Amino acid sequence: MARADDPGHFDIAIVSSGGVRRVWRRQANLVINGARPFLPLPADIAGAMFEWAMNWCVGNRALAWVSVHAAVVERHGRALILSAESGAGKSTLCAALALAGWRLFSDEFALVDPSTLTVAPLPRPVSLKEASIEVIGRRAPDAVFSREGIDIEHHRFVHMRPPSDSVARAAQTAAPRWIVFPRYVAGRAPTTIAPLFKAHALMRLVDQSFNYNNLGSSGFTTVADLVRRSECYVLEYGDLDDALAALDSMTAV
Amino acid sequence: MRRFDLAPDYGRLAGALRDPASLERLSASEFSRAMDAAQDARLLGWFVAQIDTGRIPQHAPPWLGDRVATARTLAAEYERSVRWEIDRLQRAFLGSGVTWVLLKGAGYVAAGLEPGRGRRVADIDILVPEDDLPRTEALLHGAGWEFGELDPYDTRYYREWMHEIPPMVHRERRSVVDVHHAILPRTSRLKPSSARLFERAVPAGAELRVLAPAHMVLHGAAHLFHDGEIAGAIRDVVDLDQLLRRFGREESFWPDLAREAAALGLTRPAYYALRYAREWFGTPVPDAVIEESARWAPPAPLRRLMDALVRRTIPGGGSMSQVAAYTLYVRSHWLRMPPLQVARHLARKSLRRYRPTP
Repeated sequence: MARADDPGHFDIAIVSSGGVRRVWRRQANLVINGARPFLPLPADIAGAMFEWAMNWCVGNRALAWVSVHAAVVERHGRALILSAESGAGKSTLCAALALAGWRLFSDEFALVDPSTLTVAPLPRPVSLKEASIEVIGRRAPDAVFSREGIDIEHHRFVHMRPPSDSVARAAQTAAPRWIVFPRYVAGRAPTTIAPLFKAHALMRLVDQSFNYNNLGSSGFTTVADLVRRSECYVLEYGDLDDALAALDSMTAV
Repeated sequence: MRRFDLAPDYGRLAGALRDPASLERLSASEFSRAMDAAQDARLLGWFVAQIDTGRIPQHAPPWLGDRVATARTLAAEYERSVRWEIDRLQRAFLGSGVTWVLLKGAGYVAAGLEPGRGRRVADIDILVPEDDLPRTEALLHGAGWEFGELDPYDTRYYREWMHEIPPMVHRERRSVVDVHHAILPRTSRLKPSSARLFERAVPAGAELRVLAPAHMVLHGAAHLFHDGEIAGAIRDVVDLDQLLRRFGREESFWPDLAREAAALGLTRPAYYALRYAREWFGTPVPDAVIEESARWAPPAPLRRLMDALVRRTIPGGGSMSQVAAYTLYVRSHWLRMPPLQVARHLARKSLRRYRPTP
């Protein structure tokens, strides 16, 4: 991302609708690279629209990479990809790992370069919902959180500022070593971490990819090469500390 | 205001269409605005082809490289999805004996012509003999294409007045096929013979045909200058320029074009096509053809009016461009329907815009 007066990957603006309508109902339009691909929405959700627009751009218009719905962290030059659908505890794990010495890449996107098979960082604020807000808040009294808001699905959410080291090193890519599919199951004990067949890992990543269909054969070969080179696991946990310990021993040098 | 700096730059795109080498002299920022304009004007495939021949600013920053990679992937995806739909149509028609011809964008892709490169095709247009319409509907229906919901007015509009049946949408892929039995509406003053188009159509794959070169150009011209909305049609003029350049290499093309324009009654659109392609893009047309096409021109006052209207609708056409665009829009309806019908139809369409859509 870049400032508006310095062009970059995307130019995103939110502008008010003109015309008589604005008198009784202010509306906000998303402008992406000069085009308005979506219908205007009420102006009071402009902030959420902006975040959604950035995600839309990265998911649909960053076709130099295969983008997968995943959190990514890195340690000792090796990246850990945590891929799951929303609600599986991905962001919570990611925030906890970032607070435990891993470098935060993203809580939302694994951006895999098809030519190098490295992952590009996209260190943006980590979005935490409901009980995760308190879980992470207790662990990181020094971390900076946004004011609490209510999202479109009526969930409480906050944003956690990404560690400054992650932001400073945003241009440093890393090669993935582990691909983990986490699943939070309330009350689950013990935590299990089990190897996953690579063919299954491939299908799961394809399922979680935003732009697989755009990329044609390069999408397939990239994801196939990625799972071939990585260790693939399924993680089921009910306790965050247990999950961190399991990931720690799995990734121990 | 800052946001206008971020708008797609149609002026630079138009400049690049006339002089592709100008792309190399742009800054990275100007280049990406021109690329946004190309995307918007459905010319991304053309733009990517220019990049592939090295027409890109030197010392491009990394973000521009990523934008270019995205453009290249999108263009490839557009063309791949058209080819897939063509493949599905071939399968639907295979062995049926129905003669079907791919028109316009999908036709350019199937024939491997330059305007088909990285082409984004919203609707696949095909031409079938009028007698085969019921069978075609049945074949497409069997392959997953269905009619959407239509009110009686829409149905009557298509069935009685138009040269196509209502659009058929694939129930899974949402791809749209427009089935035509002629290249201009039933109600149009010009009535080019579809039989003549079928006779001369050329193979482009298994049981698949595209229009003969002269017919392809004349169809493009008729669509642009007789039937369609000229506003925002820079893509269509680029098509004509590229087709004329490619087919014009064969000496036999030009006499064909003149003969077929006369035979199909499309000399006036042909005149406009040659005139504006030359004017905008310097399309090479032999002197003898220019001389001959002068006989197809409208009376001088009408020609001057048309020049003024068309020039205002091209990118950067000035403040009158919206009025000019609407005038040309009304004109296209004037040409395709009798006057009273035009008045009723346009009134109905503008009223409909204020009705909430379901």
